[in-house]
Formats: sequence, structure tokens, C-alpha cells
Amino acid sequence: MDLTYTAEEEQFRQELRTWLAENIPTEWTVPGYWATLSDTESFEKRREWEARKTAAGFSGIQWPVEYGGRGGTPAMKAIYDEETVRAHAPQTVNVLGLTFLAPTIMAIGTEKQKAEIIGPMLRNEVIWCQGFSEPGAGSDLAAVATRGVLDGDEYVVNGQKIWTTNAMHGDKIFTIVRTEAGSEKHKGLSMLLIDMDQPGVEARPLKQMSGASEFGEVFFTDARVKAEDCLGEIGQGWRTAMLLLSFERGASGVGQYTEFRRQYDEIVAEAKRFGRADDPVARQELARCLVELECLRYHAMHILTQVEQGRDLGSESSMTKLQWSEAFQDLWEAFEHVLGPEATLAAPRPDVDLSPFHAQDHWSRSVTIWGGSSQVQRNIVAERVLGLPR
Amino acid sequence: MFFALTDEQQAFASTVTEFLADRFDLEAVRGVVEDPDGDGHPLTLWKGLADQGALAVLVPEEHDGLGLGLVDAQVVARALGAGVAPGPWLATVLAAEAVRIAGSAEQQSRWLPALAAGETVGIVALRGEGGAWDGSGITVDANSAEGESTSRLNGSASPVDYPAVAGLIVVAATDASGTPGLYLVEAGASGLTVRDQRTYDGTARVGAVEFADTPAEPLANGDAAAVRALLARGAVLNAADLVGVAREALTRTVAYDRDRNQFGVPVGSFQALKHALADLHVAVTMAEHAVLFAAHALDTDDEGAAIAVAVAGSKAADAAWNATGAMIQFFGGIGFTWEHEAHFFYKRARRRAPLFGSAAEHREALFVATAL
Repeated sequence: MDLTYTAEEEQFRQELRTWLAENIPTEWTVPGYWATLSDTESFEKRREWEARKTAAGFSGIQWPVEYGGRGGTPAMKAIYDEETVRAHAPQTVNVLGLTFLAPTIMAIGTEKQKAEIIGPMLRNEVIWCQGFSEPGAGSDLAAVATRGVLDGDEYVVNGQKIWTTNAMHGDKIFTIVRTEAGSEKHKGLSMLLIDMDQPGVEARPLKQMSGASEFGEVFFTDARVKAEDCLGEIGQGWRTAMLLLSFERGASGVGQYTEFRRQYDEIVAEAKRFGRADDPVARQELARCLVELECLRYHAMHILTQVEQGRDLGSESSMTKLQWSEAFQDLWEAFEHVLGPEATLAAPRPDVDLSPFHAQDHWSRSVTIWGGSSQVQRNIVAERVLGLPR
Repeated sequence: MFFALTDEQQAFASTVTEFLADRFDLEAVRGVVEDPDGDGHPLTLWKGLADQGALAVLVPEEHDGLGLGLVDAQVVARALGAGVAPGPWLATVLAAEAVRIAGSAEQQSRWLPALAAGETVGIVALRGEGGAWDGSGITVDANSAEGESTSRLNGSASPVDYPAVAGLIVVAATDASGTPGLYLVEAGASGLTVRDQRTYDGTARVGAVEFADTPAEPLANGDAAAVRALLARGAVLNAADLVGVAREALTRTVAYDRDRNQFGVPVGSFQALKHALADLHVAVTMAEHAVLFAAHALDTDDEGAAIAVAVAGSKAADAAWNATGAMIQFFGGIGFTWEHEAHFFYKRARRRAPLFGSAAEHREALFVATAL
């Protein structure tokens, strides 16, 4: 066991911490600040800030220098995740492009795709959406029905995608399309990179139970995309999609722990304010949540070790997803249980605003669904890790 | 960053595991379980563990030990838990830790080599009936006459692992001012009584230890901090045993449910079982992480060590409790029989879960340490 970082990694932490301290406005650190802005205001502010961060050399931490990245270590990425959360930096506006699309392009993209896509993405000049789920294809992703028909050197695409993050702000969308007529399940699919700024593409916001609209729907009506704008080979879209999703394993539990732990401390502070922190039942439930969050932190260090050793995590990522998503949801259940009726009020007292808590509370219901539901993850752990029969 | 066992530590684990598989398998365990009047301390097992250095792991090299840390010791504890191995390993290791932490140079020279070699069985008596595991639950008083180096103990401790075979008892007692300290009592001391309490966990022998003006030698630096340090080490190594029990119970259950057919298919193909077993796998894995982290935190005197111990103690107890309950359920009727080994794991988990602090006590300590 050695839970320290190298001198070079700690040096990076100091540089980043200094830059963040100088470039995060104080008002951003107030809980609930971002919820006071309109969706568009919030998006544009984050987009502009992130472009400055990129210019300062604090984006693409682990990406090779040739792609405009920093060429850092996996530990530096973990440090980056921890420090940005600690400094109240906003979440990236290009999360799906940066997390999933970019590493996939580096792995299997054409030279043209590498040259044209990655740089503008890193600078937030092009915002990417992910077009995977459909009304009839959720957990059963291979049931996608959006179809593409070849017309000269272009595909003509018709269909609908749903749960599309940043649908209203997206410039382009990497989309699983059935390009082989009559094909079924995993066969005959292609990953097409479709321009959203065209008459055949319409995005509509989808209002969530929290009232926010992080997701949307995207409708394709004779939308056109060049056949060369396919990531991986035509007909190999399932393989491309699986490779792409495998990059979620880079998602850092260190950053998540830092964020959730702050939320835990905020909930405990409210429990004290409302006289609930002396109740042994409340204390037990809160402590149960903290146990799971601490385990998430240890697990993150274990995963980082595996990555540094060059091991393939395989289906272990399903365990990571289960741990963080269930722990996060349980934390917000505890908020409701512990605070009781006060938890349901945005203004239980004139000087207390619990609406940022409600936003997280209601958001927490989504995390055990998207990115592979908890039920799908349990199947994966049972079958691929424990070896139970299908 | 290296959050994992080294190759040497993994090899150490394999050595103990293979030794148990070869020389003290579940049939041998059954022999101990089915002989409740026996001392529960098979000498073949004890000598084998001593030969492998399993008793010497935390003892400094100058006292014939291996001079390793709790990360290494938890490797042994996990292997013993997985093998539901009987015997006073944990008790002896903790007694040696007490002497290492709080003993004078003379006390260390006298006891550590014998404990490390397995020549003396050591045990610890740190809590009285109904008491807490934080030093406040001590029900033994220590009195020292003016000018005498020997103290007199009165009171009792319970439950205590393996009192009948102990050569050395480390006792937590409070002095006239109410301050906790640590004292050494040797087997055969006057006024020392041991009563077998007949635990349902056949892989251990447990008793109450009573003191009536029993002569005892104070450990030189056996203050309240030493008592807390010993309780923390006990909590982590007990959690490691529980994690070993939990992992083995889960592994055996998964193996059975892969093969057991009902309705023409393996029962492990049903999602009702799959999802429960997947959740247990996550929980046991997290408990393994937590024990490893807590052991390292104590080894490095990390400022967050108390928090880490509380997390490990509660998570391991819950994981073992749940995994061994599931073992009986998912083996079906056979898992409920005396002939099957499931009850070894189930009973060991339930006997050990409350020791050195129950899951709920650890959670309370965690809340207090982080929120108040």
C-alpha cells in the first residue's frame, strides 16, 4: 500500500489549484448558484470558462500532446477531478464528447476525423451529443430502429433519439443508426457523426421531474450525413459503441467522492440546523451513507491502481457504477428521512433555501437508470464477474 | 498510488490458505465443532501457523518477529476467516500488540518471542458484560498498594476468546482514579477463574474471566491511549476475519448455484438470485477495500485512522452478516442442515460481528468523528 502521489503529480495539483483559485468567481462557490441561471446562460458561461481552462492547459489531462492534451498520468486525471470539484468548478458542457467520443476517435478514427474533430471539441467550439437511446431501445440498446439509407455518398437518416444530454446546445451527434435494411439486433448498425445544424434534425427539450432540462429528444427527418462520417466501419456500429462505452471506466470515483462528500456534509449541517442530528436513528442512517461514500473513495484508489498497472478493468466498471449510483441515491433518501417534513420545503425558514437540495434529490433518481440501469449492471456482475449462467 | 497487496503479501495469503486446505480443511473444522468439550485449539493447526510466521507477523524483528504491519496481518486474518479456522490466533496477536505498544523493554523481551513462536497463547480481556468497546465498558478494577509494583485486579471480563488455554492474559482495568490501563495476568494466578460460556460458534471457545484480588503486572505504558490503540487493532483484524468469512461464503454459494438445477435450469440463472449475489459481491469487495485501507491507516498513523476503522468495522460486519445469511438461503434446505458447512460461516459471522464494536456502534463513532 502506498497512497501517495509522485512529486510531479503533486506539483500538477498545486499548479491546478492555483489556477482554479484565480479563475473561479466567488459567487460560483455559493450552493445552488448555477440553478439561479437560465439553462442557456449557464451553458454559455460554462462553455466560455472551459475554453479558458483549455487555453491554460488544464483540459484533456490524460490525452496525448499531439491531440492538444496535457499528456498526463491517470493519477493526474484523478487529481484534476478532485481539485475541480473542490474548487466548485462547473461541470463540463462537452461531457459526452470528451469522455466517450474523443478516446474512441483516437483509437479507431480516420486521420481526417482525428484532425478535424478532437481539437474543436477540446476548445468547446463543437458540442457533441450522444444518440444512443430511443423510445423503444433503452436498456435493450440493440433494438435501435433509427435507419439510414445510402443515397450516393450520403446516408439519409430517419428516426428518433431520446435522453440526449445537451440536445438543445449540441452541434453534432454521434448516433447509432441501422444502416442495413432488415438487419436485427447487433448487426447492420453504424456509428454516424451527424451535423445537428440542418433542416432534417430537430431537437426538443425534455423537462425532467426536477424541472430542469438536461436531456432532450432528437428527431431525424431525412437528415443527411456523408458516408465517410462514420466512426469505425459501416455495419460495425455495435463494436464501435461497445468500445466507446468502455471509456466510462476512466470516470473518476475520486471526483465523485469529493462531490458527494460535500453534499453529505451539507445534509448533516441541515440536520443540525433542524435539530435532527441528536436522533440516533438519523445518525445511523447518515453514517450508513458515509460508510458507502468512504468505500467509494477506497474503490477509486483501487481502480486507479489497476489502471496504472495497465490492467483491463473489464466488467469491474459495473461494480463501480453500482457503488457510486446507489450510494448517491441512498444519500438523498437519507436527506428526506432525516429532515422529514422540512426536507420537502424550498423555504422552511425565511433564510433557508433547500431548492438546490431538491435539485440533487430529484436528479439522484436518474443515476440508477442512465448509463446502464442498476438492474443491467447487476446482470453484468452476476454473469461476467461471478460467472452465473445466462 | 498503490492500493493493493504486494506480490509478497499475496504469496503470504496463499501460503496460509494452502496450508489450511492441506492440513486443516472443513472436515478438521467439523471435528472441533462437534467436540464442544474440547479446547478448540488443535496443536497441528497452531504449530503450522507458528511455522509460517503467522503469529510473528506484527512482532518486531529484535524479538524474533517478522516486523510487518497490519496490512500483512489482515492477510492472515482473512485467510483464517475464509477457512473458518479455530484457535486463538487473533487473541495471541492482540496480546502481543499490547506488549509491543505498551510494554517496557523488559516486558517485551520476556513475552514477545514466546508469543511470536506460539509457545505461549495470549489473550485479551478488554470489556465487561453489556459494555461498550471504547474503553468505557471495562468492569475490572486495579488497585496498587503503596510502593508495590504488582497490582490487584477485581471484577470480570466477558466474552473473552480462548481463556482456558491462555498462558498470558492482557486485561484492561481502571485504576482508583478511573483511568483505564493494561495489565498482565499469568495463567494460574491466584483468584483467577475462567468459566466456559459455550458459544454457538463451534470454531471458537469463549469464556468469562473473573478476578478476585488477582495479582497483575501493569504494562509500563498501558494508558487509555494504549487501550484505544488495542481496540482499534482488534476491530480491524476482526473485520478482516469477517471479510474472509464473507468472501468464502459468497464464493461457495455462487459455485453451488451455478450447478444446482431446478425447473430444468441452474438456479443461478434466475435474476432473483443473480441480483442478490451481485449486490453481495459489491458489498464484500467494498468491505475488503475498507479493511485494507483501515489497516494501512493504522500502520501509517494516518490522522483519519479512527474514521477508517469505523468504516471497516461496520462494513465488514454487515457484509459477513448478509453473505452468510444468503449462503443458507441460496443453498436451500441443505444449507440449513447440521451436515452442511454453511452454519460454520453463519455462526462465526454472527459471533464476531459485535466484537470490538458492532456495526451500529462503529457507525455512531463515525458520525461523531465526522459531524460533531
